[in-house]
Amino acid sequence: MAERGGERGGERGGFGRRFGRGDRGGRRGGRRGQRQEEEKWVPVTKLGRLVKEQKISKIEEIYLHSLPVKEHQIVETLVPGLKDEVMKITPVQKQTRAGQRTRFKAFVVVGDCDGHVGLGVKCAKEVATAIRGAIILAKLSVVPVRRGYWGNKIGQPHTVPCKVTGKCGSVTVRMVPAPRGSGIVAARVPKKVLQFAGIEDVFTSSRGSTKTLGNFVKATFDCLMKTYGFLTPEFWKETSFRMTPFQQFTDLLAIPTKGLMLEAPVETVEA
Amino acid sequence: MKVRLPAAGTFKAPFRTFTARKSCSGTLKMESNTNKLQNLHITSNEETYPVPEIDCTDDEDDEVMEPQVTLGFIDEPEEPEDWHLLLPQHFPNKAGGVPAWLDPVNLPSGKSRSCDFCGEPLRFVLQVYAPIHSKETAYHRTLFVFMCPSMACLLLDQHEQGKDRAANPKRSVKVFRCQLAQDNAFYQLEEHEGCSESIESQCAGGPRAQLCHWCGTWKGEKRCSVCRKAYYCSKKHQELDWRSSHKNECHQILGAPNDSDSILPDARKVPVFAGAAWPEYTVVDETEKPPRFANCDGNSSELYVVQGQNEPDHMLSLMDEFEADADNRCWASFLDRISRAPHQVLRYCREAKAKPLWAMSSGSLATAAIPSCIYCSGPLRYEFQIMPQLLHFFHVENKPDSLDWATIVVFTCQGSCDRNINYKEEFVWVQLYPTTATRYRSSGYQSPSTNKILRSDL
Repeated sequence: MAERGGERGGERGGFGRRFGRGDRGGRRGGRRGQRQEEEKWVPVTKLGRLVKEQKISKIEEIYLHSLPVKEHQIVETLVPGLKDEVMKITPVQKQTRAGQRTRFKAFVVVGDCDGHVGLGVKCAKEVATAIRGAIILAKLSVVPVRRGYWGNKIGQPHTVPCKVTGKCGSVTVRMVPAPRGSGIVAARVPKKVLQFAGIEDVFTSSRGSTKTLGNFVKATFDCLMKTYGFLTPEFWKETSFRMTPFQQFTDLLAIPTKGLMLEAPVETVEA
Repeated sequence: MKVRLPAAGTFKAPFRTFTARKSCSGTLKMESNTNKLQNLHITSNEETYPVPEIDCTDDEDDEVMEPQVTLGFIDEPEEPEDWHLLLPQHFPNKAGGVPAWLDPVNLPSGKSRSCDFCGEPLRFVLQVYAPIHSKETAYHRTLFVFMCPSMACLLLDQHEQGKDRAANPKRSVKVFRCQLAQDNAFYQLEEHEGCSESIESQCAGGPRAQLCHWCGTWKGEKRCSVCRKAYYCSKKHQELDWRSSHKNECHQILGAPNDSDSILPDARKVPVFAGAAWPEYTVVDETEKPPRFANCDGNSSELYVVQGQNEPDHMLSLMDEFEADADNRCWASFLDRISRAPHQVLRYCREAKAKPLWAMSSGSLATAAIPSCIYCSGPLRYEFQIMPQLLHFFHVENKPDSLDWATIVVFTCQGSCDRNINYKEEFVWVQLYPTTATRYRSSGYQSPSTNKILRSDL
């Protein structure tokens, strides 16, 4: 009895021990096929599941409700034309008892050249890891960029809608609408970001220590974020709130409109 | 040097008493102390051997010490042989469908099988066959997880799960543990190695209790009064079955009397019940692989940490910023860990040092706060956790009121105690994704921009 028990113990599996029955070996073929599928994304959050089921077709629906995006695959699915570029990799050092510990800081800009741009900054011990991490962070931080006209409203919007300025550290970047055909009049660094954003013509002016690429690029990104925060007469109309994909109709929306008018306008999508 | 002796009964700082003792002990002791000090050779190690800097981000040691985790993956049964392996006599690991009860006779009954909030019978989530090889009475051991499919009940459950277990808090998620010795009344001593197609028809289970005709999960105690052959676990299921199909079938069953006392489904095939249940899968286990880029930095969870950009417009209170940071870091390490195997639905580790992988820092259970076993008063220990990928495989709807969780962690009795009850309840902790709306509402803070107010849960 004891010997049989010992044998059984060896062959029996269950969780906590590797299972290796003969017939299961044949079934492992199914698992092997699945391994190729393992590159496919299995969403972890509810928003991810909605995106995977294609219930959410445009990223603007996420922007409308300011939902936090926690998985970068969501952005990859919703904005298919994302391109990325590494702006700079700088080594940064920390002094330790045993010398210097060097890490690499990567700045990555992603964008689809049509109104969506993201910026990611990551510091890691290896260059490849830093770049990978920065790309993921850049995708998580994709924001919409509002474009407008300089003068005649002919054709598609091509420039910033108004004068906007962004600041990070000591660097301030000011963007001014430009007539069609001016091109992006900017330094090398913000020019890249603006190209990714899809802005065709703009005049820029910068101040501060623009040598620090980190602050310079963050300042332009901040400036681009503000394009949709600027109140223009189009937003004067009372906003009609829509239900978020998750939330039930809350008491908030039942509050009389006078109370709601005090708030800043909800960012709507410009066609 | 005069040292004032502290008055009796006012020993506030221990070091003060120490110095007082030193002064009154006399010069002899002082000399011996100085001699000891003189004998000490203080060498500076820095010149001779470079001291390796303890970098807080160097987590390579952690990889070695971490206990081995077994992951569970969903596998869809395709061939009829796979379906046959889901029967109780093969001790399956399965998710969805109906549970393959280990002890098929003495099933849980009464209030333990329904949600304490809405009263509906609970739905089967998954079962894990996890025998303990060192314990004879746990030769066969399975853990069954049930939960109410209603999100409203789960939200109420969040408040109750932290309460003292002795007070019998209401739960909507329940875990049962059943264990049998090798020599038991239900299964043969000899195990089937595997059922080939020829044996399949002969391989049948032993005596079984009557299951509900609608859900196939719980014991059918009530009986249809017309045909007296369909059993049900609750009035609700009887009503549902009557409306959907039994109304038409009832008379037919009455008209054709069988030899058997009831309409027992075929014991050789996995029964299919009309009731609402999640799609049935088998769970395949594999050990967790080490990180792909193991030669790189050990803690690559930094990849996912979102470094907050300075937003001077929004008045974030200091508390909120700190909360967000801890949550972000926890989420980053969670994402990093599951990125090794994105399809995992179960994480199993019964070792002593095992800790659950929390998705957030808020809503997690500290190790010190784990309650004790209600049967033997022994300590509970983390055994396994269910991951949110299971919701994707269950094809759960994504409506506002649909089921959603971050992780469900199960803590079981460390000694896997034996008591008279066959299906013992274990402690389960559900962690949900935090909803920003509730966070702001509870703290009484209203941000100036509508964006924050309209923000809702993931």
